[in-house]
Amino acid sequence: MGVLKIKGPEIVVPSEGWLYYNSVQADRINKAIDDIMDTDQSRRLFSFPFKFPNSANVRKAAVYLSGILYALGFWLFLDAVIYSKHANGSSVHVTFVDWIPFICSTLGTLTVNSIEKNRLLQGAMSSDSGITSFGGDLDSTMAWQARSVLFFGLALLAGGLSGSVVVLIIKFLVKDFNTYPTVGMGVNNVLGNFSILLSCIVLWIAQNMEDEYSYSLTL
Amino acid sequence: MELKVSPLTKIISLSGFLALGFLLVILSCALFHNYYPLLDVLIFLLAPLPNSLFGKGSLDGADFMSENAGDAQDLGHFLTGLFVTSGVALPTVFYHCRLIGLMSCVMCTTGGLVIYSSIVVFSWFFRSSWEQDDALFS
Repeated sequence: MGVLKIKGPEIVVPSEGWLYYNSVQADRINKAIDDIMDTDQSRRLFSFPFKFPNSANVRKAAVYLSGILYALGFWLFLDAVIYSKHANGSSVHVTFVDWIPFICSTLGTLTVNSIEKNRLLQGAMSSDSGITSFGGDLDSTMAWQARSVLFFGLALLAGGLSGSVVVLIIKFLVKDFNTYPTVGMGVNNVLGNFSILLSCIVLWIAQNMEDEYSYSLTL
Repeated sequence: MELKVSPLTKIISLSGFLALGFLLVILSCALFHNYYPLLDVLIFLLAPLPNSLFGKGSLDGADFMSENAGDAQDLGHFLTGLFVTSGVALPTVFYHCRLIGLMSCVMCTTGGLVIYSSIVVFSWFFRSSWEQDDALFS
């Protein structure tokens, strides 16, 4: 944000005294402008002592991290599947039931992160503050749709995680498969779904970070 | 960073590096008569693709106009992270499931990372000199 600073001594003036007076005045005005800017910048909601990192690079790193977490979850689950097929010494095997939580989590991630974030924000602005501008009705309808889709996606994610825990308990722990190489298939399933949930959260935070960044860019 | 290396030397050394990676992966398959780790080459060859498709160069003009440009780049970064992690995780999972041995797993992972890094370094070297097209062999 560029602030017009008043330069004192560069003005051609008839006498020394007037020059001195002029530069003192300019310093005063500059100080006043600085004070105003200071109070303007320190008026935030939360007073963190550090600057919140919302640059483009952090966002890029967060998106990479999200991809890494998703792949980690995917391969943790696939490890359980391949282990069940090739190196399994016990009588319990991974069947389609174990796949259902993973599919739910993946669909939930896809749903949550494909929502346009601006729709949520737009609707919140036009419906909560009571401003009914032209097309405000349409906005609130869109926001309602976006919110219900978001709820659906989050429910799928939570359902995936809890479903994997249910599979771990009912299929492994209740039937007394407690020793590690066997129960590892169920634990891997839970860890994989948790990792996918974490990936979704990181991606969501990264995208919201971008929104703040572009917001400050347009102002 | 004015390191004066001829571009031809860069190409030759990078191709040697790439061949070394392929050698490691193929050796990890052929020495143990088990061709599962060859899938790793496929994943690591796919890994640089999203960033080059959705990279900055192809969407230069649309950066400020449309909000879809950032989303496409995000998708590229997400897929890159996914593929690279998959490439590292695949031999590890195969080793854990006793499909391949420890030696094969280590060789396959190293070879895959060498292939990926040589591709990345290649695109990084010649990104600046693609504008003047005869700088490659001057």
